[in-house]
Amino acid sequence: MNKLCADIGWRSMNKWGEELCGDHVEIVENDSATTVVLADGLGSGVKANILSTLTAKIISTMISQDMELEECVKTVISTLPVCAVRGVAYCTFTIIRITNSEEAEIIQYDNPQVILLRDGHGVDYPVTEMNIEGKTILRSRVKLREGDVFIAMSDGCIHAGVGMELNFGWERKDIVEFMEPMSVTDFTAKTLNTILLDECNRLYGGQPGDDTTACTVRIRERKPMNLLMGPPADRDDCNRMMSLFFAKGGKHIVCGGTTSSIAAEYLGKPVVPDLEFSDPEIPPTATIEGVDLVTEGVITMSHVLTYAQDYLADNALYTKWSYGQDGASRIAQLLFEEATDINFFVGRAINPAHQNPALPINFSIKMRIVDQLAECLEKMGKKVKVSYF
Amino acid sequence: MKVTVCIGSSCHLKGSRQVVETLHALIEEHQLTGRVELAGTFCMGNCQSGVCVRRDGELFSVTPETARHFFETEILPVL
Repeated sequence: MNKLCADIGWRSMNKWGEELCGDHVEIVENDSATTVVLADGLGSGVKANILSTLTAKIISTMISQDMELEECVKTVISTLPVCAVRGVAYCTFTIIRITNSEEAEIIQYDNPQVILLRDGHGVDYPVTEMNIEGKTILRSRVKLREGDVFIAMSDGCIHAGVGMELNFGWERKDIVEFMEPMSVTDFTAKTLNTILLDECNRLYGGQPGDDTTACTVRIRERKPMNLLMGPPADRDDCNRMMSLFFAKGGKHIVCGGTTSSIAAEYLGKPVVPDLEFSDPEIPPTATIEGVDLVTEGVITMSHVLTYAQDYLADNALYTKWSYGQDGASRIAQLLFEEATDINFFVGRAINPAHQNPALPINFSIKMRIVDQLAECLEKMGKKVKVSYF
Repeated sequence: MKVTVCIGSSCHLKGSRQVVETLHALIEEHQLTGRVELAGTFCMGNCQSGVCVRRDGELFSVTPETARHFFETEILPVL
Protein backbone atom coordinates (compact mmCIF):
# COMPACT_ATOMS: atom_id res chain seq x y z
CA MET A 1 0.00 0.00 0.00
CA ASN A 2 1.26 3.47 -0.79
CA LYS A 3 -0.01 6.83 0.38
CA LEU A 4 -2.61 7.08 -2.38
CA CYS A 5 -6.28 6.22 -2.33
CA ALA A 6 -9.23 6.42 -4.69
CA ASP A 7 -11.91 9.06 -4.18
CA ILE A 8 -15.06 7.99 -6.05
CA GLY A 9 -18.19 9.95 -6.89
CA TRP A 10 -21.03 9.09 -9.22
CA ARG A 11 -24.55 10.19 -10.13
CA SER A 12 -27.26 9.26 -12.59
CA MET A 13 -29.95 11.33 -14.24
CA ASN A 14 -32.99 9.50 -15.49
CA LYS A 15 -34.27 9.91 -19.01
CA TRP A 16 -36.91 12.63 -18.92
CA GLY A 17 -40.20 11.15 -17.77
CA GLU A 18 -38.76 7.83 -16.56
CA GLU A 19 -39.18 6.64 -12.99
CA LEU A 20 -36.25 4.23 -13.14
CA CYS A 21 -32.74 4.62 -14.38
CA GLY A 22 -31.38 2.26 -17.01
CA ASP A 23 -27.81 2.85 -15.86
CA HIS A 24 -26.32 1.30 -12.76
CA VAL A 25 -23.12 1.91 -10.80
CA GLU A 26 -21.74 -0.62 -8.37
CA ILE A 27 -18.70 -0.06 -6.17
CA VAL A 28 -17.06 -2.93 -4.28
CA GLU A 29 -14.14 -2.51 -1.95
CA ASN A 30 -12.07 -5.25 -0.45
CA ASP A 31 -8.65 -5.30 1.20
CA SER A 32 -6.44 -4.69 -1.79
CA ALA A 33 -8.74 -3.49 -4.54
CA THR A 34 -11.63 -1.19 -5.33
CA THR A 35 -13.84 -2.14 -8.25
CA VAL A 36 -16.23 0.24 -9.96
CA VAL A 37 -18.70 -1.01 -12.53
CA LEU A 38 -20.87 1.27 -14.65
CA ALA A 39 -23.48 -0.59 -16.68
CA ASP A 40 -25.92 0.84 -19.21
CA GLY A 41 -28.89 -1.35 -20.08
CA LEU A 42 -30.54 -1.45 -23.48
CA GLY A 43 -33.38 1.01 -23.84
CA SER A 44 -34.77 2.74 -20.79
CA GLY A 45 -37.19 2.19 -17.95
CA VAL A 46 -37.77 -1.11 -16.13
CA LYS A 47 -36.08 -3.40 -18.67
CA ALA A 48 -32.93 -1.33 -18.86
CA ASN A 49 -32.89 -1.02 -15.11
CA ILE A 50 -32.99 -4.78 -14.61
CA LEU A 51 -30.35 -5.41 -17.29
CA SER A 52 -27.92 -2.88 -15.93
CA THR A 53 -28.44 -3.84 -12.28
CA LEU A 54 -27.88 -7.52 -13.05
CA THR A 55 -24.81 -6.80 -15.14
CA ALA A 56 -23.21 -4.47 -12.62
CA LYS A 57 -23.95 -6.80 -9.70
CA ILE A 58 -22.66 -9.92 -11.43
CA ILE A 59 -19.48 -8.28 -12.67
CA SER A 60 -18.63 -6.45 -9.47
CA THR A 61 -19.19 -9.52 -7.32
CA MET A 62 -17.19 -11.83 -9.56
CA ILE A 63 -14.32 -9.42 -10.22
CA SER A 64 -13.96 -8.55 -6.57
CA GLN A 65 -13.63 -12.29 -5.84
CA ASP A 66 -10.67 -12.41 -8.25
CA MET A 67 -12.48 -14.30 -11.01
CA GLU A 68 -11.02 -14.14 -14.50
CA LEU A 69 -12.42 -11.44 -16.75
CA GLU A 70 -13.39 -13.90 -19.50
CA GLU A 71 -15.36 -15.85 -16.94
CA CYS A 72 -17.24 -12.71 -15.82
CA VAL A 73 -18.13 -11.60 -19.32
CA LYS A 74 -19.28 -15.10 -20.29
CA THR A 75 -21.46 -15.28 -17.20
CA VAL A 76 -23.03 -11.91 -17.91
CA ILE A 77 -23.76 -12.76 -21.51
CA SER A 78 -25.31 -16.12 -20.73
CA THR A 79 -27.34 -14.83 -17.77
CA LEU A 80 -28.96 -11.70 -19.10
CA PRO A 81 -32.62 -12.02 -20.05
CA VAL A 82 -33.30 -11.55 -23.74
CA CYS A 83 -35.43 -8.58 -24.76
CA ALA A 84 -38.63 -9.81 -26.39
CA VAL A 85 -38.89 -6.78 -28.68
CA ARG A 86 -35.33 -6.63 -29.93
CA GLY A 87 -34.33 -10.28 -29.50
CA VAL A 88 -31.04 -9.39 -27.83
CA ALA A 89 -29.69 -9.18 -24.34
CA TYR A 90 -27.55 -6.17 -24.34
CA CYS A 91 -25.89 -4.14 -21.70
CA THR A 92 -22.74 -2.10 -22.12
CA PHE A 93 -20.34 -1.75 -19.23
CA THR A 94 -17.16 -0.17 -17.98
CA ILE A 95 -15.04 -1.64 -15.21
CA ILE A 96 -12.34 0.26 -13.37
CA ARG A 97 -10.43 -1.83 -10.91
CA ILE A 98 -7.85 -0.16 -8.71
CA THR A 99 -5.35 -2.49 -7.10
CA ASN A 100 -3.26 -1.48 -4.08
CA SER A 101 -3.67 2.17 -5.14
CA GLU A 102 -0.92 1.41 -7.66
CA GLU A 103 -2.58 0.31 -10.85
CA ALA A 104 -5.90 0.79 -12.58
CA GLU A 105 -7.23 -1.91 -14.85
CA ILE A 106 -9.88 -0.62 -17.19
CA ILE A 107 -12.22 -2.95 -19.05
CA GLN A 108 -14.71 -1.48 -21.47
CA TYR A 109 -17.50 -2.83 -23.55
CA ASP A 110 -19.24 -0.36 -25.86
CA ASN A 111 -19.56 2.52 -23.39
CA PRO A 112 -17.86 5.84 -24.25
CA GLN A 113 -14.16 5.37 -23.56
CA VAL A 114 -13.04 6.19 -20.05
CA ILE A 115 -11.38 9.59 -19.88
CA LEU A 116 -8.05 9.88 -18.09
CA LEU A 117 -6.98 13.37 -17.03
CA ARG A 118 -3.42 13.76 -15.82
CA ASP A 119 -1.76 17.09 -14.91
CA GLY A 120 -4.73 18.94 -16.36
CA HIS A 121 -4.70 17.21 -19.75
CA GLY A 122 -6.64 14.40 -21.35
CA VAL A 123 -4.21 11.50 -21.81
CA ASP A 124 -4.39 8.54 -24.17
CA TYR A 125 -3.61 5.22 -22.56
CA PRO A 126 -2.76 1.93 -24.25
CA VAL A 127 -5.75 -0.20 -25.14
CA THR A 128 -5.74 -3.91 -26.04
CA GLU A 129 -8.63 -5.42 -27.94
CA MET A 130 -9.90 -8.81 -26.84
CA ASN A 131 -12.59 -11.01 -28.23
CA ILE A 132 -14.76 -12.81 -25.73
CA GLU A 133 -17.82 -14.72 -26.93
CA GLY A 134 -17.91 -12.62 -30.06
CA LYS A 135 -17.81 -9.34 -28.18
CA THR A 136 -14.99 -6.85 -28.53
CA ILE A 137 -13.70 -5.86 -25.14
CA LEU A 138 -11.09 -3.17 -24.55
CA ARG A 139 -8.60 -3.70 -21.81
CA SER A 140 -6.01 -1.29 -20.38
CA ARG A 141 -3.62 -1.08 -17.48
CA VAL A 142 -2.54 2.29 -16.17
CA LYS A 143 0.07 2.94 -13.49
CA LEU A 144 -1.49 5.45 -11.10
CA ARG A 145 -0.14 8.85 -10.24
CA GLU A 146 -1.37 11.28 -7.66
CA GLY A 147 -3.98 13.60 -9.16
CA ASP A 148 -5.12 11.20 -11.90
CA VAL A 149 -8.82 11.56 -12.70
CA PHE A 150 -10.75 8.78 -14.44
CA ILE A 151 -14.23 9.47 -15.77
CA ALA A 152 -16.51 6.61 -16.84
CA MET A 153 -19.73 7.56 -18.62
CA SER A 154 -22.86 6.11 -20.13
CA ASP A 155 -23.66 7.27 -23.66
CA GLY A 156 -26.23 9.69 -22.24
CA CYS A 157 -23.30 12.00 -21.47
CA ILE A 158 -21.92 12.24 -25.00
CA HIS A 159 -25.39 12.53 -26.48
CA ALA A 160 -26.26 15.51 -24.31
CA GLY A 161 -27.71 18.27 -26.41
CA VAL A 162 -28.17 16.29 -29.64
CA GLY A 163 -30.49 18.25 -31.86
CA MET A 164 -31.03 20.85 -29.17
CA GLU A 165 -28.06 22.91 -28.04
CA LEU A 166 -25.68 21.06 -30.33
CA ASN A 167 -26.03 19.27 -33.64
CA PHE A 168 -24.14 16.12 -32.81
CA GLY A 169 -24.21 16.17 -29.07
CA TRP A 170 -21.29 16.62 -26.84
CA GLU A 171 -18.39 14.56 -28.05
CA ARG A 172 -15.88 12.83 -25.85
CA LYS A 173 -13.18 15.34 -26.80
CA ASP A 174 -15.47 18.21 -25.76
CA ILE A 175 -15.98 16.61 -22.39
CA VAL A 176 -12.20 16.18 -22.03
CA GLU A 177 -11.74 19.86 -22.83
CA PHE A 178 -14.49 20.86 -20.40
CA MET A 179 -13.11 18.78 -17.54
CA GLU A 180 -9.39 19.53 -18.06
CA PRO A 181 -9.29 22.81 -16.09
CA MET A 182 -11.47 21.31 -13.32
CA SER A 183 -9.21 18.32 -12.82
CA VAL A 184 -6.32 20.33 -11.40
CA THR A 185 -8.41 21.91 -8.65
CA ASP A 186 -8.98 20.42 -5.21
CA PHE A 187 -12.54 19.43 -6.12
CA THR A 188 -13.56 15.99 -4.86
CA ALA A 189 -14.61 13.24 -7.25
CA LYS A 190 -18.22 13.87 -6.26
CA THR A 191 -17.95 17.58 -7.07
CA LEU A 192 -16.17 17.00 -10.40
CA ASN A 193 -18.84 14.49 -11.29
CA THR A 194 -21.63 16.90 -10.33
CA ILE A 195 -20.08 19.62 -12.52
CA LEU A 196 -20.05 17.25 -15.49
CA LEU A 197 -23.62 16.02 -15.01
CA ASP A 198 -24.96 19.53 -14.44
CA GLU A 199 -23.43 20.55 -17.78
CA CYS A 200 -25.04 17.52 -19.48
CA ASN A 201 -28.36 18.46 -17.93
CA ARG A 202 -27.95 22.04 -19.16
CA LEU A 203 -27.23 20.83 -22.70
CA TYR A 204 -30.31 18.63 -22.54
CA GLY A 205 -32.29 21.71 -21.54
CA GLY A 206 -33.17 20.06 -18.23
CA GLN A 207 -34.86 17.15 -20.00
CA PRO A 208 -32.30 14.37 -20.56
CA GLY A 209 -33.06 12.41 -23.72
CA ASP A 210 -31.37 9.31 -22.31
CA ASP A 211 -30.30 7.92 -18.94
CA THR A 212 -27.12 9.83 -18.16
CA THR A 213 -24.53 8.57 -15.71
CA ALA A 214 -20.96 9.50 -14.90
CA CYS A 215 -18.59 8.05 -12.36
CA THR A 216 -15.42 9.92 -11.45
CA VAL A 217 -12.44 8.34 -9.73
CA ARG A 218 -9.78 10.68 -8.43
CA ILE A 219 -6.45 9.36 -7.17
CA ARG A 220 -5.33 11.36 -4.19
CA GLU A 221 -3.08 11.24 -1.22
CA ARG A 222 -4.45 9.87 2.05
CA LYS A 223 -5.20 12.69 4.49
CA PRO A 224 -5.99 11.90 8.10
CA MET A 225 -8.24 14.25 10.07
CA ASN A 226 -9.09 14.16 13.79
CA LEU A 227 -12.15 15.64 15.43
CA LEU A 228 -12.63 16.00 19.16
CA MET A 229 -16.09 16.65 20.55
CA GLY A 230 -17.31 16.66 24.14
CA PRO A 231 -15.48 16.21 27.44
CA PRO A 232 -14.94 12.61 28.65
CA ALA A 233 -17.59 11.10 30.92
CA ASP A 234 -14.98 10.79 33.64
CA ARG A 235 -13.09 14.03 34.13
CA ASP A 236 -9.98 12.07 35.16
CA ASP A 237 -9.83 10.78 31.59
CA CYS A 238 -9.13 14.25 30.13
CA ASN A 239 -5.39 13.80 29.86
CA ARG A 240 -5.64 10.35 28.35
CA MET A 241 -8.19 11.56 25.78
CA MET A 242 -6.15 14.66 24.89
CA SER A 243 -2.85 12.80 24.58
CA LEU A 244 -4.41 10.19 22.28
CA PHE A 245 -6.07 12.91 20.21
CA PHE A 246 -3.02 15.13 19.79
CA ALA A 247 -0.73 12.14 19.14
CA LYS A 248 -2.59 11.46 15.87
CA GLY A 249 -1.11 12.66 12.61
CA GLY A 250 -3.07 15.07 10.39
CA LYS A 251 -5.21 18.06 11.24
CA HIS A 252 -7.04 18.52 14.52
CA ILE A 253 -10.52 19.97 14.96
CA VAL A 254 -11.94 20.71 18.40
CA CYS A 255 -15.71 21.21 18.79
CA GLY A 256 -17.44 22.52 21.88
CA GLY A 257 -16.88 25.22 24.47
CA THR A 258 -15.92 23.06 27.42
CA THR A 259 -14.03 20.71 25.15
CA SER A 260 -11.93 23.52 23.75
CA SER A 261 -11.04 24.77 27.22
CA ILE A 262 -9.89 21.25 28.15
CA ALA A 263 -7.79 21.09 24.98
CA ALA A 264 -6.38 24.56 25.65
CA GLU A 265 -5.46 23.59 29.19
CA TYR A 266 -3.74 20.45 27.94
CA LEU A 267 -1.73 22.47 25.42
CA GLY A 268 -1.07 25.29 27.89
CA LYS A 269 -2.41 27.90 25.43
CA PRO A 270 -5.36 30.28 25.71
CA VAL A 271 -8.64 29.95 23.76
CA VAL A 272 -9.15 33.12 21.76
CA PRO A 273 -12.76 33.32 20.56
CA ASP A 274 -13.61 35.28 17.48
CA LEU A 275 -16.65 37.58 17.44
CA GLU A 276 -17.18 37.38 13.69
CA PHE A 277 -20.59 35.90 12.81
CA SER A 278 -20.09 35.06 9.16
CA ASP A 279 -23.27 32.99 9.24
CA PRO A 280 -25.87 34.32 11.70
CA GLU A 281 -27.07 30.80 12.52
CA ILE A 282 -23.70 29.41 13.46
CA PRO A 283 -21.72 30.48 16.54
CA PRO A 284 -18.29 32.00 15.88
CA THR A 285 -15.09 29.98 15.86
CA ALA A 286 -12.05 30.41 18.07
CA THR A 287 -8.32 29.78 17.88
CA ILE A 288 -5.98 27.76 20.05
CA GLU A 289 -2.34 27.57 19.05
CA GLY A 290 -1.69 23.98 17.94
CA VAL A 291 -5.29 23.25 16.89
CA ASP A 292 -6.32 23.69 13.26
CA LEU A 293 -9.93 24.65 13.94
CA VAL A 294 -11.90 25.38 17.10
CA THR A 295 -15.69 25.68 16.94
CA GLU A 296 -18.76 25.58 19.11
CA GLY A 297 -20.21 22.08 19.54
CA VAL A 298 -23.70 20.79 18.93
CA ILE A 299 -25.23 23.63 16.86
CA THR A 300 -22.25 23.73 14.51
CA MET A 301 -22.16 19.94 14.17
CA SER A 302 -25.86 19.69 13.41
CA HIS A 303 -25.26 22.05 10.47
CA VAL A 304 -22.34 19.90 9.34
CA LEU A 305 -24.68 16.90 9.40
CA THR A 306 -27.22 18.77 7.25
CA TYR A 307 -24.47 19.58 4.72
CA ALA A 308 -23.33 15.94 4.74
CA GLN A 309 -26.81 14.61 4.06
CA ASP A 310 -27.28 17.14 1.28
CA TYR A 311 -23.87 16.27 -0.22
CA LEU A 312 -24.95 12.65 -0.50
CA ALA A 313 -28.27 13.65 -2.05
CA ASP A 314 -28.17 16.39 -4.71
CA ASN A 315 -25.25 18.47 -3.36
CA ALA A 316 -27.40 21.61 -3.56
CA LEU A 317 -25.84 23.35 -0.55
CA TYR A 318 -22.33 22.95 -1.97
CA THR A 319 -21.88 26.62 -2.84
CA LYS A 320 -22.93 27.56 0.70
CA TRP A 321 -20.40 25.47 2.61
CA SER A 322 -17.56 25.27 0.13
CA TYR A 323 -16.82 28.99 0.42
CA GLY A 324 -18.23 29.71 3.89
CA GLN A 325 -15.93 30.88 6.65
CA ASP A 326 -18.20 29.90 9.55
CA GLY A 327 -17.40 26.93 11.78
CA ALA A 328 -19.79 24.46 10.14
CA SER A 329 -18.64 25.26 6.60
CA ARG A 330 -15.00 24.96 7.57
CA ILE A 331 -15.58 21.58 9.24
CA ALA A 332 -17.46 20.45 6.12
CA GLN A 333 -14.57 21.54 3.88
CA LEU A 334 -12.06 19.65 6.05
CA LEU A 335 -14.13 16.48 6.45
CA PHE A 336 -15.81 16.15 3.05
CA GLU A 337 -13.11 17.53 0.76
CA GLU A 338 -9.73 17.29 2.43
CA ALA A 339 -9.91 14.18 4.63
CA THR A 340 -9.74 10.54 3.62
CA ASP A 341 -9.37 8.98 7.07
CA ILE A 342 -11.32 10.49 9.94
CA ASN A 343 -10.92 9.78 13.64
CA PHE A 344 -13.67 10.98 15.95
CA PHE A 345 -12.87 11.36 19.63
CA VAL A 346 -16.22 11.67 21.35
CA GLY A 347 -16.60 12.48 25.02
CA ARG A 348 -19.71 11.20 26.73
CA ALA A 349 -19.97 13.78 29.50
CA ILE A 350 -23.44 15.21 29.95
CA ASN A 351 -23.47 18.99 29.90
CA PRO A 352 -25.84 19.93 32.77
CA ALA A 353 -26.55 23.25 31.08
CA HIS A 354 -27.98 21.46 28.04
CA GLN A 355 -30.39 19.26 29.99
CA ASN A 356 -32.90 22.05 29.97
CA PRO A 357 -36.22 21.21 28.32
CA ALA A 358 -36.36 24.76 26.95
CA LEU A 359 -33.30 24.16 24.81
CA PRO A 360 -33.40 22.21 21.55
CA ILE A 361 -30.11 20.49 22.35
CA ASN A 362 -29.35 17.63 24.70
CA PHE A 363 -27.06 14.69 25.23
CA SER A 364 -28.89 12.16 23.07
CA ILE A 365 -29.02 14.62 20.16
CA LYS A 366 -25.27 15.07 20.39
CA MET A 367 -24.61 11.32 20.26
CA ARG A 368 -27.04 10.91 17.38
CA ILE A 369 -25.33 13.65 15.37
CA VAL A 370 -21.99 11.86 15.68
CA ASP A 371 -23.47 8.50 14.65
CA GLN A 372 -25.28 9.94 11.64
CA LEU A 373 -22.32 12.02 10.55
CA ALA A 374 -19.99 9.01 10.74
CA GLU A 375 -22.46 7.05 8.61
CA CYS A 376 -22.63 9.83 6.01
CA LEU A 377 -18.84 10.08 5.85
CA GLU A 378 -18.57 6.34 5.29
CA LYS A 379 -21.00 6.68 2.42
CA MET A 380 -18.68 9.33 0.99
CA GLY A 381 -16.00 6.63 0.94
CA LYS A 382 -14.03 7.84 3.96
CA LYS A 383 -12.49 5.52 6.51
CA VAL A 384 -14.09 6.53 9.79
CA LYS A 385 -13.17 5.50 13.31
CA VAL A 386 -15.15 6.64 16.35
CA SER A 387 -13.68 6.32 19.86
CA TYR A 388 -15.75 7.10 22.93
CA PHE A 389 -14.41 8.37 26.24
CA MET B 1 -12.90 48.08 30.24
CA LYS B 2 -13.40 44.61 28.85
CA VAL B 3 -16.87 43.27 28.10
CA THR B 4 -17.00 39.54 27.33
CA VAL B 5 -20.09 37.95 25.81
CA CYS B 6 -20.63 34.19 25.95
CA ILE B 7 -21.02 32.65 22.49
CA GLY B 8 -21.41 29.06 23.69
CA SER B 9 -24.21 26.81 22.41
CA SER B 10 -26.77 27.74 25.01
CA CYS B 11 -26.18 31.50 24.91
CA HIS B 12 -26.07 31.40 21.14
CA LEU B 13 -29.59 29.98 21.15
CA LYS B 14 -30.66 32.68 23.57
CA GLY B 15 -29.44 35.39 21.22
CA SER B 16 -25.80 36.17 21.96
CA ARG B 17 -25.31 37.29 18.37
CA GLN B 18 -27.91 40.05 18.73
CA VAL B 19 -26.38 41.08 22.06
CA VAL B 20 -22.93 41.32 20.45
CA GLU B 21 -24.33 43.30 17.53
CA THR B 22 -26.24 45.72 19.76
CA LEU B 23 -23.27 46.34 22.05
CA HIS B 24 -20.95 46.70 19.10
CA ALA B 25 -23.21 49.30 17.48
CA LEU B 26 -23.65 51.22 20.75
CA ILE B 27 -19.91 51.28 21.41
CA GLU B 28 -19.32 52.76 17.97
CA GLU B 29 -22.20 55.20 18.34
CA HIS B 30 -20.70 56.54 21.55
CA GLN B 31 -17.19 56.50 20.06
CA LEU B 32 -15.89 54.21 22.79
CA THR B 33 -14.04 51.81 20.51
CA GLY B 34 -10.68 52.39 22.18
CA ARG B 35 -12.06 52.36 25.72
CA VAL B 36 -14.38 49.38 25.72
CA GLU B 37 -13.01 46.11 24.43
CA LEU B 38 -15.69 43.69 23.26
CA ALA B 39 -14.71 40.01 23.29
CA GLY B 40 -16.30 36.60 23.02
CA THR B 41 -15.84 33.48 25.09
CA PHE B 42 -17.10 29.93 24.96
CA CYS B 43 -19.33 28.65 27.77
CA MET B 44 -18.93 30.38 31.12
CA GLY B 45 -20.72 27.54 32.89
CA ASN B 46 -23.68 29.71 33.76
CA CYS B 47 -26.07 28.78 30.98
CA GLN B 48 -29.26 29.07 33.05
CA SER B 49 -28.87 32.85 33.18
CA GLY B 50 -27.75 33.38 29.60
CA VAL B 51 -26.88 35.37 27.65
CA CYS B 52 -23.92 35.61 30.02
CA VAL B 53 -21.93 38.83 29.86
CA ARG B 54 -18.88 39.63 31.97
CA ARG B 55 -17.88 43.24 32.58
CA ASP B 56 -14.31 43.00 33.82
CA GLY B 57 -14.79 40.49 36.67
CA GLU B 58 -18.52 40.87 37.21
CA LEU B 59 -21.22 38.60 35.71
CA PHE B 60 -24.47 39.88 34.18
CA SER B 61 -27.41 38.25 32.50
CA VAL B 62 -28.43 40.06 29.33
CA THR B 63 -30.98 39.34 26.61
CA PRO B 64 -31.25 40.91 23.15
CA GLU B 65 -34.09 43.07 24.56
CA THR B 66 -32.13 44.29 27.57
CA ALA B 67 -28.80 44.81 25.79
CA ARG B 68 -29.33 48.56 25.32
CA HIS B 69 -30.46 48.96 28.93
CA PHE B 70 -27.38 47.03 30.09
CA PHE B 71 -25.14 49.32 28.08
CA GLU B 72 -26.79 52.46 29.43
CA THR B 73 -26.80 51.37 33.09
CA GLU B 74 -23.75 49.15 33.45
CA ILE B 75 -21.25 50.38 30.89
CA LEU B 76 -21.76 54.11 30.25
CA PRO B 77 -21.91 55.24 33.91
CA VAL B 78 -18.89 53.18 34.93
CA LEU B 79 -16.54 54.64 32.35
